Formats: sequence, C-alpha cells, structure tokens
Amino acid sequence: MSSHYNPLQHPEVQQGTTGRYIAAFLASAALMGGAYYASTQKLPLMEFAATAAALSLAALVSQLALFFGLNISQAQIWKGVALFLAIPLFIITIGMTVWAFSSLYSRTMPMDGMLMSGQPTLLQ
Amino acid sequence: MATSNPTGAALALWNPGADEHDPISARTYGFWLYLIGDALLFCSLFASYAVLDNPVNAAGGPLTAQVINTPHGLWQTFIILASVLAYSLGTVSLKNGNAAGVQLGILAALLLGGAFLYISGTDLWALAAQGNGPTRSAFLSVFFTLLLTHGLHMLFGILWMLVMLVQVGVLGFTKDVVGRLLNLRLFWQFQATMWVCVYFYVYLLGGAR
Repeated sequence: MSSHYNPLQHPEVQQGTTGRYIAAFLASAALMGGAYYASTQKLPLMEFAATAAALSLAALVSQLALFFGLNISQAQIWKGVALFLAIPLFIITIGMTVWAFSSLYSRTMPMDGMLMSGQPTLLQ
Repeated sequence: MATSNPTGAALALWNPGADEHDPISARTYGFWLYLIGDALLFCSLFASYAVLDNPVNAAGGPLTAQVINTPHGLWQTFIILASVLAYSLGTVSLKNGNAAGVQLGILAALLLGGAFLYISGTDLWALAAQGNGPTRSAFLSVFFTLLLTHGLHMLFGILWMLVMLVQVGVLGFTKDVVGRLLNLRLFWQFQATMWVCVYFYVYLLGGAR
C-alpha cells in the first residue's frame, strides 16, 4: 500500500451516517414491536404466523440495508452476492431437516394426531 | 517502425494506475464470509429446534410457551438494537478520527450488551432452578443450546469491545485497528440480526403454539 494510505478514508469507514443508523434502529424496533403487538391479539395461528413473519422479514431487510449498508456499490456488491447465494443454503438446511423429521415422526412417533387417526405406528 | 520499450529496472510488470491491494476490504469481506458460515450454524440450531419442539421430545416437561417470557424478549430486542446503534454511531465518529466518540460508542454498546446478557441469563437461570434445565428433555436441551449459543456470541463481542477500547486508546487509528473496528461492527450487527430470528421463531411463533 502507499505510504500515504489513510484508513479513515476507506469507503467502509466513510459509508456510515448517523441518519441511516437511527433509521435502521427505528425501523427494526417498530417492526419487531408490531410483531409483538400482533402476538397479543387473538389472531388465528396461521394469520399471526404470516403477520409476524412478514414484519420480522421486513426488520431483517431494514437491518441489511441500513445497518450493514448492503447495496450494489463497488465496495459492497460482493457481500450482497455472497449473502444472496447463501440464502438457499439457509432454506435448505432448515427446510430439508424439518421435512425429513416430519416424515419420520409421522411413521415412528406416537403423536396425538397419529393415535387419534387409528393408524398404528412402528412403536405400537 | 522502432519503438522504445523500457527494459531492466525501468520495466514495470504491473499497471501503476491499477487499484492497489486493499487490506481493509479483504479483511471485512473475509469476515463477512465467516458470518455467513456462522449463520449456517444458527440455521442448524433452528432446524434442531423445529424438530425437537413437540410433546414427544418434551418428555412430560414444558414446551416453548411455558418457558419463554415474550415481553422480556421484546425488551432484549430493543436493547440489542440500541447496542448496535450505539456501536454504529461510534463508527460514524471514526470517519472524523474522533477517538473519544468511538470509545463512547463502544462503551455504550458494551453496557447495553451486558444488560441484554443479564436479562437472558436471569431468565435461563430461573428456568434451570425450577428443574427445567437443559438435561430435563431434548426440547430444553435445544432451547438452552440456541439461546446460550447466541449469548456466547454476545459475550465474545463484549470481550472484543474491551480489547478495542484499549487498542483505540493505545494504538490509535492504524490500518489494523480500523479493520478490527469495522469487523466488530459487522459482528455486532450480526448479533442483532440473529436475535430478530430467535425472537420471531422461539418467542413469537413458539409462544403462539
């Protein structure tokens, strides 16, 4: 590096602004507060799950954009690309595990639903 | 037609106008890839949680709705977001080379992180004292593992902040110190992101079932 290199002039140092960080805090706190408020209402489970998931996802996106500062600038684009490519791995890790065990449980575990359906399980 | 190409010591094997190696960007990108790997660790814990959160794996013990304190979790959410805000504002001071501003931001983030851990620790301790510790059932094992994994990340972040408080004071804003401050900012912001996932999945969804 040049002997005149000043780390404080680095794009990642210069990218943060007070307004952006305060906006990130307010957006995330409001969205998660909204999700909590939804939990105090007597919503049907699926309706509540969809509402809370949408609000939490919006909170995550606001953090990625405003706290982490992910965007398509030259300084940040590869972080966004790496995350974009990793998201399917997150979904596969959780989704495949849940799917596999859900299938296993329905065949091997004496769950309430199974007992009520009258279907014998491997443990019976 | 004759041309005069430089030879010997005058010959440059690279383009002198090209971008120079950027160690700060290389470090933050490498650390970002580590954080994605860390997120996969949390994914495996969420998958385990989803598998074990049912009456069969509770072994007659409590399930999520009986062991969580959703309002406490919301306060923890606000506290960790405030902690990330404090650290991030500290790095805004870094733009101007303001060491006192950076140290103040780190100190505030550190104290708020400590408050987060205190709430989490007292809730888990009270649960264990009631006989519902991690050895009570497979469900409680994964419940404690998930929350303690996040708590250990927080604890490590606090220790890292203590180190950076000293380094900013002693070494100043060298290339290495600035790189570490930026990586710590990523690490701390990542903890808030993971906590939003924990709060949604464990506290909100788990409490609703």
